[in-house]
Amino acid sequence: PTSCPATGSPCGSASSKDSVEWEGRSLLKALVKKSWEQVHVLGCEVSEEEFREGFDSSINSRLVYHDLFRDPLSWSKPGKALPGGPLEALRALDKRTGSGPATIALDSLSWLLHHLPCPILCQTLHALSRQDSCPGDTLPGEQVRVLGLLHEELHGPGPLGALSSLAQTEVTLSGTMGQASAHILYRRPRQRPTLQTQWFSILPDFSLELQVEPLLESQPPSDLHTPSVDPTTHLTFNLHLSKKEREAKDSLTLPFQFSSEKQQALLRPGLGQATSHIFYEPDAYDDLDQEDPDDDLDV
Amino acid sequence: MAAAGTCGTGTRSTGSMVAAASTNNVTSFQRRGPRASGADSGCSRLVSIAGTRPSVRNGQLLVSTGLPALDQLLGGGLAVGTVLLIEEDKYNIYSPLLFKYFLAEGIVSGHALLVASAKEDPADILQKLPAPLIDDSYKKECDEDVCSHKMEPDIKMKIAWRYQLLPKMEAGPVSSSRFGHYYDISKRIPQELIETSKWHGFFLPEKISSAFNVESCSLTPGYMKLLQFIQNIIYKEGFDGSNPQKKQKNILRIGIQNLGSPLWGDDICCTENCDTSHSLTKFLYILRGLLRTSLSACIITMPTHLIQNKAVIARVTNLSDTVVGLESFIGSEKETNPLYKDYHGLIHIRQIPRLNNLIYDISDVKDLAFKLKKKLFTIEHLQEGGLDL
Repeated sequence: PTSCPATGSPCGSASSKDSVEWEGRSLLKALVKKSWEQVHVLGCEVSEEEFREGFDSSINSRLVYHDLFRDPLSWSKPGKALPGGPLEALRALDKRTGSGPATIALDSLSWLLHHLPCPILCQTLHALSRQDSCPGDTLPGEQVRVLGLLHEELHGPGPLGALSSLAQTEVTLSGTMGQASAHILYRRPRQRPTLQTQWFSILPDFSLELQVEPLLESQPPSDLHTPSVDPTTHLTFNLHLSKKEREAKDSLTLPFQFSSEKQQALLRPGLGQATSHIFYEPDAYDDLDQEDPDDDLDV
Repeated sequence: MAAAGTCGTGTRSTGSMVAAASTNNVTSFQRRGPRASGADSGCSRLVSIAGTRPSVRNGQLLVSTGLPALDQLLGGGLAVGTVLLIEEDKYNIYSPLLFKYFLAEGIVSGHALLVASAKEDPADILQKLPAPLIDDSYKKECDEDVCSHKMEPDIKMKIAWRYQLLPKMEAGPVSSSRFGHYYDISKRIPQELIETSKWHGFFLPEKISSAFNVESCSLTPGYMKLLQFIQNIIYKEGFDGSNPQKKQKNILRIGIQNLGSPLWGDDICCTENCDTSHSLTKFLYILRGLLRTSLSACIITMPTHLIQNKAVIARVTNLSDTVVGLESFIGSEKETNPLYKDYHGLIHIRQIPRLNNLIYDISDVKDLAFKLKKKLFTIEHLQEGGLDL
């Protein structure tokens, strides 16, 4: 019922994983719309017109689009497209957002993973989400937020795992029966990560509407709470202590427990102390003769 | 090996025994070099460095890992000159704790520190170290935890009378010469302890310039720079006996965080058949060579759950000395298993080294679990429960 935690996180990076059935670009655009600071978009998969489509003018004015879609390999004249390829574009983003809080949206990380080696992409993303300028000057609200869109089905478990370990929030999109849901894994720095599922829908103007989980009638109620059986009811021996028994147990002196009586007994084997006796009753076959029985042997 | 360190000047001792006629000595062997400690050369043969002790089993010089329970599992402690590899848990919550315990133990014992990370600034890591506990407060923590479980605080433990009379440990100053201290995770280490300690930091984004030249050498540039840094510190500060140290010998504790992750420039976590697959293994091999010839001990945390190629994990395990794996229950089906309900994860001792030995020193217990309480990290036997080591 609260706002989507991805936008609530103060800094760090968030990645949305989508698949063929549940596309994530509209969620990305909804998150872009929600942030009220300057937004830099690195567009690789769709053109600028298509990305800006659906946004009203207030959002479009604070949205800076860095276009890698039109000319990714810089074949046309330099100056028109971003020179240096995607790596330079990312580094330029890093330097550009030195002033004030900003949101960087990467559309998409999959495209970048295909064009850059994974470790270099991870290092650059990490540098982006850290504040490079003097660390003492930044207020918590002024840091950079990085949102990335990742197409889950295009990559193996390696790059997915590597990028997941970098991201502070990971949103996996899925859904049932036409209703989209987001599984949100939120990693806080030194605490247990929280897994949350949020159902949502995106309206035509890209505002995000959160919804309650729809009733699933088709699923059988599988989590009936089975009443816990008390195992001590049908035993042949008694596990419970009555009050008198408990008192007797508490007042019992354990053999190695120190008490003044024991101390006295140890220090002074006194008069009241009975010395130990050995009671021996000889058997019919016992030989009470004290001599060496081997003397009989004729060896 | 570092065992040689217990008998004098380490690597130099073997070469400097000279058979010379000596007038007032019992033996005719005379150690070349300054005879500063003439009279007490007998007792200075055992190097007494603060925070170390010889192993009771084979005389190996040991340092504490910062967690006395883990020390006991490893056979007394971590041997000087070896590598402790921690296989990180999936969400990297508990392995940084072991890392911090190791460094905090170094500060409290007065050792020198070298912290290397590609993710966090070493100065920030040092700020977040846990505060050491003096003995009385540790007992109070344990009693508080025990009392919070039971609803009746007036049940006291009935201790056998012999142990009641044992003298309590002295609550001496925090920087004591004891082996193995307890720490309070909820508090930060006091600033003055950090300032009086000697530490060196290696933060990869600062050391690697922005020129991403893919060099053709077999080690990734990050690893190469780290090895050079470590070697430089060892040589300059004299941990390998190269500069004859007039002052007291000391141990260098090296901590490397998230080794093998993509932030170090290594793609071993990203692909299964990567080009630089030997980079990490070469790094570990050279690092171990550096450690064996110096008075240092190293802790490395590695996200092995991300490494795609299982053969690499096996190689990495063989190249490390002690390997401890952490497996947390978060997100797995074990979280709802009633057997594990009191614990946060399992701890696996995957390998213990055979140092100057023919047999291993492994404890018999295989099922160990850990629990992160508010202030302490405890390791317990799984089935018996509540039996704190």
